[in-house]
Amino acid sequence: MDAARGLRAVDAAGPLGAADAAVPAARGDTAPARGPATAASPRGPRLRLPALPRRWWRPAGASLLSAVGYVLTHAQLGATAGAVGSGLLLAAAVLAGWPIALQAARALAVRVVGIDLLVTVAATGAALIGELWEAAAVTTLFAVGKALESATLDRTRGALRDLVAAAPDVAVVVRDGRQVEVPAREVAPGETVVVRHGEKVPVDGDVVAGFGAVDEASITGESVPAEKAGGDRVFAGTLAVSGLLRVRATGVGADTTLARIVHRVEEAQDAKGRTQRFMDAFGRWYTPAVIGLAAVAAAVTRDVELALTLLVIGCPGALVISVPVSIVAGIGRAARDGVLVKGGETLEALARVDAVALDKTGTLTRGRPRVVAVEPLPGVSPADLLGYAALAEAGSSHPLARPVIEAAEEAGVGPGDAAVEAETVPGKGVVARLAGTEVVVGSARYAAEVAAGAAGMDRAVAAADGLAAAGRTPLVVLVDGRPLGVIGVADEPRHGAADAVAELERLGVGEVAMLTGDAEPVARAVGRQVGVRSVHAGLLPEDKLALVHSLRERRRGVAMVGDGVNDAPALAVADVGVAMGAAGSAVAVETADVALMSDDLRKLPHAIRLARRTAANLRQNVAFAVATVVLLLAGVIAGGVTMSLGMLVHEASVLLVVLNGMRLLRPLRPARVGAV
Amino acid sequence: MRPAARRRTEVEEKMSSHDAGSTKTVLRAEGLSCPSCVAKIEQQVGRLAGVSAVAVRFNSGRIEVEHDPRVASVDELVRAVARAGYTAQPSPF
Repeated sequence: MDAARGLRAVDAAGPLGAADAAVPAARGDTAPARGPATAASPRGPRLRLPALPRRWWRPAGASLLSAVGYVLTHAQLGATAGAVGSGLLLAAAVLAGWPIALQAARALAVRVVGIDLLVTVAATGAALIGELWEAAAVTTLFAVGKALESATLDRTRGALRDLVAAAPDVAVVVRDGRQVEVPAREVAPGETVVVRHGEKVPVDGDVVAGFGAVDEASITGESVPAEKAGGDRVFAGTLAVSGLLRVRATGVGADTTLARIVHRVEEAQDAKGRTQRFMDAFGRWYTPAVIGLAAVAAAVTRDVELALTLLVIGCPGALVISVPVSIVAGIGRAARDGVLVKGGETLEALARVDAVALDKTGTLTRGRPRVVAVEPLPGVSPADLLGYAALAEAGSSHPLARPVIEAAEEAGVGPGDAAVEAETVPGKGVVARLAGTEVVVGSARYAAEVAAGAAGMDRAVAAADGLAAAGRTPLVVLVDGRPLGVIGVADEPRHGAADAVAELERLGVGEVAMLTGDAEPVARAVGRQVGVRSVHAGLLPEDKLALVHSLRERRRGVAMVGDGVNDAPALAVADVGVAMGAAGSAVAVETADVALMSDDLRKLPHAIRLARRTAANLRQNVAFAVATVVLLLAGVIAGGVTMSLGMLVHEASVLLVVLNGMRLLRPLRPARVGAV
Repeated sequence: MRPAARRRTEVEEKMSSHDAGSTKTVLRAEGLSCPSCVAKIEQQVGRLAGVSAVAVRFNSGRIEVEHDPRVASVDELVRAVARAGYTAQPSPF
C-alpha cells in the first residue's frame, strides 16, 4: 500500500486487482462505496436504483395479465375469450411464479423448506385442479407483496446508509510541506490534514491550527455547529461549515468514530431480543405445523383446495418480519439522533425505565471545574490573588490547578514558565517556593493550620465557609504566611441539564437521583440548580453500586448515566447503563448499553421516548401479526377464505407491519420543553 | 473485556491478512425479506473453497465472510450470493 500512498484517488485503483480489493475492505478501511477500491465496478448502495425497475416488471406484468385474464374468463364473453383468458392467467402464474419456484428449488437444494416452496406447491396445485385464477392471483399477489416488502425493508435498513456515505473519499494532507490530495483511508495517523469550509472532515483528529465551525450532526445528532480551535477534537464524516482547520489525524478508516458507530448500530440491529427469538421460534414451528395440517386436511376431507389454501396462509410472513422491522427502524432512528442503543433487548429495557441515577461529575456538570469566585481580602487586588495562586498551582498536579491557572491567564496574570518548586500535600493543598517567597494554596483548614493566628485569617476562613456552603470548593491563598483571600472553584451544571431532569419527570420517571463522590454541600448546590431532589453525596464506587441495587429492588427499570470510568460497576449493574459524550470515547461506544454521542443530557429523555415509541410499535406489530394468522386460520377452517383472498390478506398484513415499522424512521416530535 | 478483545482480533486480522491469507469481508445484501434467505446464502457461500466462515445478519442485511482472497475472491463471494438469488456488494465496514 505504501507505493500507492501519495497517488491520487483514481490511480490507486489501478494496481489493485479485483481480488485484492477485498484486502483494504477487510482491514476495515473506511473507503466509502465510491472509494478507489470500488471505483472499477461501481458498487455500494447506489446500485439499488438501476435494480429497481427490474424488481417491478414481473409483478407489474403479472398483475396486468391476471386482470385481463380475470375479465375474459369471468365476463361470459364466449368460449374463445374464455380460452384466451385462461391462457393469460396461466401466463401470469408462470411469469410471477417462475422466480418463486426458482427460489424454492434453491432453498430445497440446501434443504430449507421456505415460503417460496409453499407458494409454489399451492399455485401448481391450483393450476392442476383447474383453478387458474387462484394460481395467477396467488403468485401475482405474492410477487407484488415480495417486491414491496423488499423495497421497504431495504429502505428501513438504509437508515444508516447516509451515515456510511458521510465518510469522504479524499483528504488533503501536508507532506513535505506541500498539500497533496490522497484517498482518505491512506492518511497515516499523525499526519496533518487540511479541512476547508464546505468540506467534510476525512479523519478523526485533533485541531492543531486554525479555527472554524463544524456541523457534527452525523456523529452527535446535534444540529448546531460546534466551534473548533486548537486542541479540539474533530470526527471523520462531520462537515466544516466555516473556517480553515489543520487537523492531526488520530484515527483513519475503521478506526474512526463514524466507522465504530455504524458497526455498533448494525450489531445492535442484529442482536436478537427476547421478542424476536420468540417470534423466530414461533415461525419455525408454525410453518411445518400448517403443512402437517394441510396434509391432514387433504387426507380427511379430500378437499384439495382447502389443503392448498392452508399452505398459502402457512407462510409466516408478518410473524417473522414484525420484530426485525421495528428494531431496525427504531435503532436506526436513534443512531441518527446521536443515541446508540446496544440492541432490541436494551431498547425494550430503556422503554421500561422509571428511575434514573445520574453521576454528577461530567454528567450533570461539565466535568471541568472553573473559577467562579475570587474574593481577595481588603487591600489585595483580585489579580494578585489569582496570580499568586496560579504561580503555586503551576507546579502542582492537583485537579483544581488547571482552572486556577486558566483563570489567571484570562486575567493576564498567568504563571508563564516560572520555575516553581512546588510540593503537594495530599488532600490539603500545595506549597510552592519562588525566589524566597512561599505561597500556599489549600483548604481553609490547612491554611489555618500552617498560618494560625495570622492577620485576616478569620475573614479568609469565613469567606471559605461561605463559598463551601454555596457548593463551591474554596482555596485559601497564603503568601509568606499572610492570607491574600479565597478562590472558589466549581464544576457548573451543563447547559440543558435542568431541562433534561424536568423532561424525565414529565415522562413519568418517578425517581431521578444524583450519585457523587463529592462532598454534600457541593452536591446539594448542583442538585438545587438542576432540580434533582434525591442527592447522594460522598459515595465510593461500591456505594454507588449498592444504591443502584436498591433502586432496582423498588423500580421496574433503572438507568444509570455516567462517564463510564469510576462508575463502571454501577453502570454495569443498572438495567440500562448510559454513557454520555461518547463521541470522544471508543470504549464507551463499544461497551455502553446506550451511548449518547453528544454532551447534551437532554438526549436521555429523548432516548427514552424513542425507546417507548419503538417498544409500542413492536407490540402493535406482534399483536397484529398473531391476530392475522389466527383469523386467517379460523377463516380457512370455517370456510370463506379462498386461496387468493388468503394470499391477499397475508401480503397485506406483511406490508402493514413493514409500513408500521417504518413510521419509526420519522423524527420524534420535539419535546415540549428542552427541544434541541 | 470487549474493547481489548476487539482490538486484538483486529490486529490478528491485519496480521493474518498478510501471513495466513485469511481475511474478513463484509457484503451488504439487498432484498433479504425472509429469514429463510439466511440459510440459503450461508450454504451457497459456505461451500466455496477458501471460505472458512460465513454469517448472514438478517436484520441489517450484512453477510460477513472469513475467506482467503487468493482462493475465494470477493467477486466469487458476490457470485455465490447471486446463486442464492440475491444481490450483494462489498462494503468497507
